[in-house]
Amino acid sequence: MTDRVTLLGIRHHGPGSSRMVAAALERVRPSVVLIEGPPEADALLPHVPSLTPPVAVLLHDESDPSSAAFWPFAEFSPEWQALRWAASNDVPVRFFDLPAAASLSADSASGGSVDPIALLAEAAGFDDPERWWEDVVEHSASDPISLASAVAEAMSGVRSSLVEGVSGVVGEHTLRREAFMRRSLRQALKDFPGEVAVVCGAWHVPALTGPLPTATSDNALLKGLPRRKVSGTWVPWSHGQLAAESGYGAGVDSPGWYAHLWEHRSDVVPRWFARACSVLRSEDLPASTASAVEAVRLADVLAALRGRPSPGLSEVTDAALAVLCGGDEVPLRLVHRKLVVGERLGSVGDDVPRSPLAADLARLQKRLRLPPQLEPKQLRLDLRKENDRERSKLLRRLEVLGVPWGKPDRTNSLGTFAEMWQLAWNPAFAVSVAVAARHGTTVASASETVLRQQADEADRVARAAEVLARAVGCELPEAVEAGRVALDRCAAAATDALELLAALPELARTVRYGSVRGTDPELLRVALHGLLARGAVGLPLACRGVDDETAEQALSVVDGAHEAVRLGADEPHQQTWWAALAKLAATPDAHGLPTGRATRLLWEAGELDGDAVAAKLHRSVATAFVAGFLRGSATLLAADQRLFGLIDDWLTTLRTADFDDALPLLRRAISDFSPAERRLLGERVSAGAVEPVDDEWDEAIAQRLATHVRELLA
Amino acid sequence: MTAVLRPTAEQEYAAELTALAAADDRQRPSNWRLSPQAVVTYVLGGTLPDGTVITPKYVGERRLVEIAVGTLVTDRALLLVGVPGTAKSWLSEHLAAAISGDSTLVVQGTAGTSEDQVRYGWNYARLIAEGPSENALVPSPVLRGMRTGAVVRVEELTRMPSEVQDSFITVLSEKSLPVPELNTQVQAVAGFTVIATANDRDRGVNQMSSALARRFNTVVLPPPATEDAEVDIVVARATQLGKALELPAEPPALDEVRRVVRIFRELRNGSTVDGRTQLKSPSGSLSTAEAISVIASGMAMAGHFGDGRLGADELASGLLGAVVKDRVSDAAVWHEYVETVLKERAEWRDLYRACQDLVS
Repeated sequence: MTDRVTLLGIRHHGPGSSRMVAAALERVRPSVVLIEGPPEADALLPHVPSLTPPVAVLLHDESDPSSAAFWPFAEFSPEWQALRWAASNDVPVRFFDLPAAASLSADSASGGSVDPIALLAEAAGFDDPERWWEDVVEHSASDPISLASAVAEAMSGVRSSLVEGVSGVVGEHTLRREAFMRRSLRQALKDFPGEVAVVCGAWHVPALTGPLPTATSDNALLKGLPRRKVSGTWVPWSHGQLAAESGYGAGVDSPGWYAHLWEHRSDVVPRWFARACSVLRSEDLPASTASAVEAVRLADVLAALRGRPSPGLSEVTDAALAVLCGGDEVPLRLVHRKLVVGERLGSVGDDVPRSPLAADLARLQKRLRLPPQLEPKQLRLDLRKENDRERSKLLRRLEVLGVPWGKPDRTNSLGTFAEMWQLAWNPAFAVSVAVAARHGTTVASASETVLRQQADEADRVARAAEVLARAVGCELPEAVEAGRVALDRCAAAATDALELLAALPELARTVRYGSVRGTDPELLRVALHGLLARGAVGLPLACRGVDDETAEQALSVVDGAHEAVRLGADEPHQQTWWAALAKLAATPDAHGLPTGRATRLLWEAGELDGDAVAAKLHRSVATAFVAGFLRGSATLLAADQRLFGLIDDWLTTLRTADFDDALPLLRRAISDFSPAERRLLGERVSAGAVEPVDDEWDEAIAQRLATHVRELLA
Repeated sequence: MTAVLRPTAEQEYAAELTALAAADDRQRPSNWRLSPQAVVTYVLGGTLPDGTVITPKYVGERRLVEIAVGTLVTDRALLLVGVPGTAKSWLSEHLAAAISGDSTLVVQGTAGTSEDQVRYGWNYARLIAEGPSENALVPSPVLRGMRTGAVVRVEELTRMPSEVQDSFITVLSEKSLPVPELNTQVQAVAGFTVIATANDRDRGVNQMSSALARRFNTVVLPPPATEDAEVDIVVARATQLGKALELPAEPPALDEVRRVVRIFRELRNGSTVDGRTQLKSPSGSLSTAEAISVIASGMAMAGHFGDGRLGADELASGLLGAVVKDRVSDAAVWHEYVETVLKERAEWRDLYRACQDLVS
């Protein structure tokens, strides 16, 4: 354009480019710096001095906060170095890429994801573009300005050879971005009399030099850009997020290595292996200084062997594998995680604007001594302690807000007073927090709004019960009330007994926790009883004339409800439940699965005696009854003398024809058992009755039974 | 003239080595016959500027070979690890041939390997007649390699008793071998290094002490990654063997090799190629090397007793012998495979019949 413009074509997140940018800015001392990025972020520039990278600009549509995007900056990013230089020299900065208002809606914001420098490096036989940059580009031109012009020249070559039909490789979106860049550049030249420095992806440099399209044609291209109100802030970012290929990642697969290259200009490889050794030693793996020396030598030789002036990431990795890790991939993965990715979380200063909700979250994290950490970590909370209970509340409320920072670990039961959580912070949660900010100004009020909304929208009993349970966990009285109202409303509308009963387990758990959680358990118990009473009445009817799928569902509902009743119901309502089961068991045309299960439960509780059960078993030889009776009780069957005896009696007294009829279903019932359970059962059978139930131990019958069962277990 | 049964690598590929040395203009480490780059080319194959074609000796990842050669340049010892039949010894022989022009300095590790074979022994007649002297000393391959600056190969390092293994520690770290009887020591000449091979899955191995393991750079050689790669290896080697043994058979048909390789891979991985059927794995390792020998023996049978073409009948007996190492359990595994997998493949009907004939 004019002589006043210095174009610095860079490789995004390339430490080599960073050095070039830093040196060139120092040399040119421009009066304004234009950086590739959305102009809406200009308002955030005053905060640069208080940031510790990696950080990212988070911009979102004000009317729809979930439509958001990040622009990440690491310490070694050229853009960041330009920002830092401008901030410390009081030089104005402008972001001059297409506004986020337009790029947020474009589906593939990553349209121009060509890395032309990587292409050049690959053509030169390098698989690490940064080492190529250092070895070839930097060594050939030590003056940053002539380096930049060399890059520009190379890019023109690449672009003209790659882009014969421009629209093919350079998409519509990229063309618009470049038109906007040109417009911003013209504006900057008008506004500032001095030098203008431009930091942008090397790919765009040819579009900003040479004979340019006229301003009129650019304006035509930019016509009709979407206009939206966009706002945003700085958020802490992480190396892991930079490395992620998907989501908001930048696709930098080795941020730790780049940071290392940026931090150390000399002795890159020896320092790297020294760090690798200390990483391995910290995990009690042997890694001596002597090995580090050998690894450095091997890396150097490998680079020479591959015709490269100095070792790159692949040589360093190969050497680490052969020398430090003894050829074993497992410790190498550790090195990769700790060094090559090199997890690091940035931070933003207190003056950076954030939503009241984010501020409240930060305050709570500080007060509860629960700092966000990237490394997954287990947390055990004792709910009798005030601080732990507050932590649990916070995690649950965040879960409601769509910020799954903690995942409840339900693998082992710790009783009602303890909880296990898996904590892992993800910087991308910033989006969810921004989205939730419209629901309220504090974590408590926002989650209450969300829960009440969910309660209002609930249209099924199970859903309402779930909302109620979450509200109790979050200890939000108004949400609890809303949940109860929703539950009543849904229960009144529900006609299906199974649906009513399906809500019981969730509710029973809530009743148990209610006492710990500062909610009156009686309130909930009343709700539980109401559901139970109505569901129990309808249960036998609900199991009549149903298909197999519904029967499966009924089976699990009966199981769940039974457990729930044991946990949460009082004596009279337990009786109601037993009565319902008895009625179900006696309903002749009900599906076999739930009937079988009801019979089992009754028999276990002593409500039915063995003879009655045997009679039922005989009567319903070829139905799903047996499956329902036996489902999920292999261990019990092997261990429980009574149950085993019952089944044993039934099998041995079957008539041959009946046995043949029963065989397929029996086989199905048994095939639900895991192989280990079947083996256990087989051993139990082949061992014979350890203590014969009665004295008349008939060897022949036992033999027959054993053969049959062996056949079944095959 | 009577041909030797198995010429060494430097004999068999003498022409290639000479051509490589002639074309090689890069710097060679002292006592190396070739530059490291030329060694990599020798192992992986390629075409020289003068048009000489170098056959690939090892089919696999380039970076593994580069790490191996790089290790030897830094005069560190190299340890090649892998399951049986992953071309560990093969690679070590060719590396030694290319670097030192001599692949015969070998210590074979067995349960009976003694320290004499690693350090030095005595010619007892001389020892008694003349007393301890340089002349009465019988050098081991290691000692000879140290004196001449050559690559010494140690096969099956982990089969040696632990105390014998540990006698390498001094040699590898001090690069010298003391001879207290003569009050002297032998210092290694530049170019001396050790390539050891070890097997990480076999029974009857003695774990290396960590003091010894530290002195090696380790390269793990994986089994061939894909069926096609394995087929290539088997075809190349079997054809070579056929020539060396002067078998009157045609080179093996690609289809037959593919069948054997597929059977081996399926049994090794415990599932069929399409992943639909689970299989039991036999006790043997079913390595690529064994696949080669099945093909080679099949070719021998076809050549001498058949029509000269490798077919299902010849394969069946070879397969049976390779798979069934344990008479009871492996036989069941093989039978199941034949009945569930072979039988289902329509185009493999001939092989299925041949296998059935053999069983009955």
